[in-house]
Amino acid sequence: MEFGASQSLSVGIEIELQLVRAHDRDLAHEAGDLIERLAKKKVPGAVKPEVTLSMIELNSSIQTSYAGALAELEEQRAVVCEAAGVLNLGVSGGGAHPFHDWSERRVYPAERFKAVTQRYGYLAKQFTVFGQHIHLGCASGDEAVYLVHMLTRYMPHFIALSAASPFYQGEDTSFQSSRLTAVSAFPLSGHMPFVPDWAAFVEYFETMRGYGIVEAMKDFYWDIRPKPEYGTIEIRVCDTPLTVRRAALLAAYAQALAAWLLEERSRVPSPAVYQVNAFNRFEACRFGYMGQLVDPYARTKKVIGEDILSTAAAVMPQAARLGCVEAVRELAEGVRRGYSDAGWLRARLAASGSLPDVVREAAALWAKPNAAAA
Amino acid sequence: MHEIAWFLPAWPLALEELVRFGALLLAGLLGGEVVYRVAGIPRITGYVLVGVACGPHALGVVQGPLDAGARVFIDLALGLIVFELGHRFDLEWLRRNRWLALAALGESAGAFFAIYGGLLYFDYLPLLAAAAAAVGTATSPAVVMLVSHELRASGQITERMLLFTAVNCVFAYVALTLLLPLLHLEHALGWRAAILHPLYLLAGAALLGFAGSLLLLGLARWLGKREDRQFILLVALVVLVVGCARALNLPVVVALLALGMLARNLDDDHVLLPLRFGHAGQLLFVVLFVLTGAGLDFGNLDTVGAITAVFIVVRFLGKAVAILALGRLSGLRAGGAGLLSLSLLPMSGFAVVMVHDTAFLYPRFGAELAAVVLSAVAVLEIAGPLATQFALKHAGEAHPEA
Repeated sequence: MEFGASQSLSVGIEIELQLVRAHDRDLAHEAGDLIERLAKKKVPGAVKPEVTLSMIELNSSIQTSYAGALAELEEQRAVVCEAAGVLNLGVSGGGAHPFHDWSERRVYPAERFKAVTQRYGYLAKQFTVFGQHIHLGCASGDEAVYLVHMLTRYMPHFIALSAASPFYQGEDTSFQSSRLTAVSAFPLSGHMPFVPDWAAFVEYFETMRGYGIVEAMKDFYWDIRPKPEYGTIEIRVCDTPLTVRRAALLAAYAQALAAWLLEERSRVPSPAVYQVNAFNRFEACRFGYMGQLVDPYARTKKVIGEDILSTAAAVMPQAARLGCVEAVRELAEGVRRGYSDAGWLRARLAASGSLPDVVREAAALWAKPNAAAA
Repeated sequence: MHEIAWFLPAWPLALEELVRFGALLLAGLLGGEVVYRVAGIPRITGYVLVGVACGPHALGVVQGPLDAGARVFIDLALGLIVFELGHRFDLEWLRRNRWLALAALGESAGAFFAIYGGLLYFDYLPLLAAAAAAVGTATSPAVVMLVSHELRASGQITERMLLFTAVNCVFAYVALTLLLPLLHLEHALGWRAAILHPLYLLAGAALLGFAGSLLLLGLARWLGKREDRQFILLVALVVLVVGCARALNLPVVVALLALGMLARNLDDDHVLLPLRFGHAGQLLFVVLFVLTGAGLDFGNLDTVGAITAVFIVVRFLGKAVAILALGRLSGLRAGGAGLLSLSLLPMSGFAVVMVHDTAFLYPRFGAELAAVVLSAVAVLEIAGPLATQFALKHAGEAHPEA
């Protein structure tokens, strides 16, 4: 398995979006109609189906800067919203629909998704959750393996910063992000094994393929995984934020953080990150910025919010070079104020008194040009 | 023997209305289930067939109108359906999608002029042909609503079917009402009645719906977002509007559609929760359709069968023209327009009422033309649900397990 070439630290963004009905704000089943309509439009990047008919996925093209990524996402957002409006569909961010009934979901009629349903049963329909994936370009397979190991320590940051799924199946879960729990149910979720380099990873992959457990990289549902076809690593823990702006901010932070890790190379990857990973991940999902994070390198416990702020400060030189100082600063400012999309959603419920209203307001926020939630 | 007879009921038993109501419910339930299991036919068609079997043309078990108590159930069932249909009418959508608005109007106008032309061809008086065309324009709110509930359908065809039905019902009533002056003048009732009568009907029904929607929204705001409270409120207002419309001699359907449409489109602060009618609604609908079946008139099919067939075919074609022409522009996927046209086939049971009203006011409406419309209703009450079910299933919008 060759690791494809890509420009180091280039960025690609994928976001999965909810399609909601106008009359009761439940999830719609009309991804097919929307994608057919969008096929005739000029959309930068790509719009793709996902496992159920209630979701679509936006893919950006390869970007190098925060400004470029944001501009493209905004353009995609506008085109998709316009097309959805013609079909009277709402489009919304957020990691999970607040009150849909998973058994009502219908699988997208394509071979790939039928196979997933056949294999995973009800898990496939329960997988109607909405995430943002961030691709980071790597110069080599070894660099990719290094970054996966090193970034794992920071996954709680991305969970807390993107958290936007406080409600699930009509209930407040008390989590900031309930979405990742749906991912954990899959047998091939979790994390990459602690391999020293790309050659060792390929050996592991071939062994798994030899057993007939996987056929391709896409069969691993890891929180962060190499994507050799693209020459990238892919961060998969983020909930889809409520605005494209926040999606671009997260990508910028990932880019700056990876640049910093590559440049500093101050630490050697330690298998200890995977010992504490499950604890850290839970803390971030449950408590967001207030959660605790065990730093296996420093052998200390930290508060996730504070750890984000000190990391954001540390990566500023790299952010400056990549043109995303303002983005990282904006994200950090939000952490200081305690802002999260999950909090925004809870505030909407408190103000309006019903979950359909929460969905309506989230869709209205998504529909607003250049929106920023606060 | 004699000393115990005093506590036994007199024979034959004086069966209470409730027994009749319960028996109809039971018969409808079983009939619907049998046709569904045996032939995969929608349960609604089963209810109607049970009604036909019990009706005056067959067993004769059901004769004459129900008493006031049972009537409330029927009115409530119809009221909730028509209100919900009105509530699905989304002005915002039509504003965003002008082609859709044009297609909805075109569907109504197409059906109207197609039937009108067809009847003129058979040498009916233009005025009467127009009245019959207006009646024929409406799709049955009850059938489309119930089939979509039963199939748990959701998607573009379903949404548009409901939207177009709301529009063609309003179109039908408005067209029929606007024909009134001409009918009045024909019968020399004078210009005052000719102008005031339609004005009273349309403005009155709209005002009643408007007042009801204001009350509904105001009280919903006060009650807060609690589904159980809001449901009771809704039932109360629907029944009140039906009652008031009837007392004021206003068209009940227009008043209810206005109530639903205005409640949806005036609700700027979103105080009203989305509607969800559970099993309670289903219960009412069984009896509704059994009674509809009992009231169907197949008696004239042998004499006006050919014209009835033409009526049904041109009506379908008239509906389909605008939908086929504007389908793609309005955002329908390939093949969707044909299915949408088919789904709109059911003819409104209200047509029976409209025909009787018109025939009552104007005996010259013509026994024969009434027979054509009533025969079409009879055929489409049975075939219509089949068409709608076929369309929604083939559109892939039915729930896979429904």
